Amino acid sequence: MTNANDVLSSLQSAFPGALTEPKVESEMRLWVAVDSKKIVDVCKFMRNKLGFDHYSGCAGVDWIAKKEFEVVEIMASHDTSNSVVAMLKVKTPRDKPSVPSLTGLFWNANWYEREAWEMFGINFEGHPELYPLILVDELVGSWPWRKDFKGYPDTTTGNRIVETVTNDGYLEYSVAPHPAEVEAGTVPKERPKYPSFREREERDIKSDSEMIMHLGPQHAMVPGPFLLDVLVEGERVKKAYLDIGYIHKGIEKIMENRTWLQGITYTDRMCYVASLTNNECYCGAVEKLLGLEVPLRAQYIRVILEELSRIQSHLIGAGEFLTLIAGVGFAPWQYMIIDREGIISLIESVTGARLTHTFVRFGGVRNDLPEGFADQCRKTLKYTEERTKEYIELFEQDPIYHMRMDNIGAIKPEDGKRMGAAGPVLRATGVDYDVRKIDPYLIYPELDFKVITGTKGDSADRIDVRLREILESIHIIEQCLDRIPEGPIRTEAKIPKKIPAGEAYYRVEDPRGEMGMYVISDGGDKPYRVKVRGPFYATFQTLTPLLEGMYLADVVATAGSMDGCPSEADR
Amino acid sequence: MDGIIEAISSFASQQPAIFALIIGIIGAAVIAGVVNVGAMLVIWGERKVLSDFVQRYGPNRVGGRWGILQLGADAVKFFTKEDSIPQGADRAVFVWAPIVVSIATMMVAAAIPFGALHIGGKDYPLVVANMDISAFYVEAALSIMAIGAFMAGYSSNNKYSLLGAFRGVARMIAYEVPMGVCVVAVAVMAHSLNLVEIVQNQTLWYAFAQPIGFIIFLIALVTDLGRIPFDQSEAEEEIISGYNTEYGGIRFGLLYFQEYNNMVLGSILLVLMFLGGWHGPIIPIPLLDIISPLIWLFMKVVIVMWGLIWIRSSLFRLRIDQVTDLGWKWMLPLSILNLGWAIIIGSYFA
Repeated sequence: MTNANDVLSSLQSAFPGALTEPKVESEMRLWVAVDSKKIVDVCKFMRNKLGFDHYSGCAGVDWIAKKEFEVVEIMASHDTSNSVVAMLKVKTPRDKPSVPSLTGLFWNANWYEREAWEMFGINFEGHPELYPLILVDELVGSWPWRKDFKGYPDTTTGNRIVETVTNDGYLEYSVAPHPAEVEAGTVPKERPKYPSFREREERDIKSDSEMIMHLGPQHAMVPGPFLLDVLVEGERVKKAYLDIGYIHKGIEKIMENRTWLQGITYTDRMCYVASLTNNECYCGAVEKLLGLEVPLRAQYIRVILEELSRIQSHLIGAGEFLTLIAGVGFAPWQYMIIDREGIISLIESVTGARLTHTFVRFGGVRNDLPEGFADQCRKTLKYTEERTKEYIELFEQDPIYHMRMDNIGAIKPEDGKRMGAAGPVLRATGVDYDVRKIDPYLIYPELDFKVITGTKGDSADRIDVRLREILESIHIIEQCLDRIPEGPIRTEAKIPKKIPAGEAYYRVEDPRGEMGMYVISDGGDKPYRVKVRGPFYATFQTLTPLLEGMYLADVVATAGSMDGCPSEADR
Repeated sequence: MDGIIEAISSFASQQPAIFALIIGIIGAAVIAGVVNVGAMLVIWGERKVLSDFVQRYGPNRVGGRWGILQLGADAVKFFTKEDSIPQGADRAVFVWAPIVVSIATMMVAAAIPFGALHIGGKDYPLVVANMDISAFYVEAALSIMAIGAFMAGYSSNNKYSLLGAFRGVARMIAYEVPMGVCVVAVAVMAHSLNLVEIVQNQTLWYAFAQPIGFIIFLIALVTDLGRIPFDQSEAEEEIISGYNTEYGGIRFGLLYFQEYNNMVLGSILLVLMFLGGWHGPIIPIPLLDIISPLIWLFMKVVIVMWGLIWIRSSLFRLRIDQVTDLGWKWMLPLSILNLGWAIIIGSYFA
């Protein structure tokens, strides 16, 4: 097992003088500030020599009092023997923020850096396509996540919709800012210049037989609003373009303006089919800041509910996907929804809510299990197990299913790691990466379960992995029900309103993969910064290169098998 | 009863032109009613049966607990919606496409026998245009619908529609040929291209006499109807609604209705050609014995349609290249094999 101290000492010996403020929280967490000139070399060294091949994203932090920005590069490893997460801080002055880009080292740094750029205005030197990802073009330049952001121009009052007729005769609308707002400084005088999304697409049209088709943001294929454009020649896809941000809620910024406890409700809304794991991730990070021990019974309850939540998420993930390749009249998809209903009722009997539970609390859970829960749970799980086995068998035997799914959108294991795919998508390629094993939390180390992996990494494998994970989750819950002890469900310690200053990174295994939250406290009653490293955000990025050269129908089969949750990708 | 028939036949022999005209007008009214009401019932039935497959209720509000008036509500909705034609559309083609499709449906309906009346030990087929080559005519008229769908997709000035139209045509070409060869095989065995005679000569159901032909015809029929697993031309998860994406209001209503009209007609065609048509034991009850062939045909058609709905709820959709592959590489050679088989068996039947 790699230890954070070893990582730090080998870094310090390789780069003397480049590292400052080292902090080792535990064997698995390491914080260190890196000179911005050296960051690329340090990351290269870590990737090549120390095995940190899993770039988990970067968080921009606005330290307005210190007049500097911080970019925190979160580095981890796909290797099961290395569960260290290293947070490398790169500091840059606030008046002219610029740090080197890591896109040359990590393919998947692309989106994370684009997001940090559009939200904080931090320039990434050497980034190939520094265009906005989440914000609309009109709002770029306001740098909304900076601490001195004054708010967007109010577009609801006054008659400010500008109608323009384009060359091909279509109407286009834009919003003009109010002169008073320009004066007040809420509208930036200068906006960054870059080609728009449409211009970038249309650059690639080479002949008359090619056209761009929109699959989204409103399309039967999309599980939530996102824009997937494909450049097609007949039925063949030549290139795909992805634009997200249609359901951006600014949750990370909102959480900075709410108390610590109120923040839990916002984590629900990131992805409502996996809200329990989102709760867990945020509460876990705050518990680390507080140094709280969660009572054993509460840990068991959390695991039971999170696994139930995983089952229902996988059922809807696999089920929704089936409608994409079989139409909404397809019966098994509705059977999965019916099966999911039983699981939802179970969760509801404990939490009182069907989707947005807000159930996990700092140092415990809100409610105890109701009477008779164990029996009801065992009964429902037995039924679900039978049905899931039936689905697995059904898909195994269906020839048309195999014609449509085998070798479609296949990812090689090394590509999966390189592009940063997460969860079942990564495990389908054969990589046994599961946060429950690699960076265990709650009581997972004591439980017996396998990490389900596939072999080919294609669409069929991804669905198969999900369905078999349901069986594994059932196994976990049954163990928990057998072993759950009596005791308090919340910690005895009083939770202070103000959380002591510090920072924590906590990761959990969401149904869609590794979810991490990087929480910073400045000692106040509100978080200073919450960075969410969403699993689907990571997986989403791998989609576009996969689609090239496919048939249009396979685009649907591939994108659908990712089990998308744009709500969580956009936050 | 015999008196009435005699009177009618004497009138027919004295004034053949007027008789044909009267029969034509009555027949046109009847088939328009039968086909359209049938289609409405099929829409309702499909919604009910499909819901039943997945433990839902289906329509259950409008018109009592069976929701039978849902169709009326839908029809009113179609009629009252705004009639919009997209910017840049080929207006004439856009407007005519649903009409072409409807006309093609009626052309098919005209030549199809909807059953027979059993009077005095003899079957009197109920068919408006009893032409000599009706089997082939029906097959040809079915293809016109694909042209209508292509017109709709092509004229809409919409990328989804265009792809849907292309898919529809590619599929039509790949499956009309094996379907035609199957019709020829049936004709060889029945020694006639007339649908009435095909039924009359069908002592052994052709589904048993030429099983390969039956299966190929069934698959080609599902393809022609554009139902799962062959609904690529309107695969909603890929190309929104395919060729009819831009249609709304009653224009969409016509296109939508045509699919179910086709389902009725296609099922009848399948029953006529392969499942013994209206043949079945005569019910020995007065008056019921007259319509007993009708009852048999109706029952068979309902079973076929129920099967089509069942297929929809249990199969995945094929990709368009796989569909054409299947058509050209498997169905066409097999249908020709089936034709050879029919020639050998047919000589034995003769």
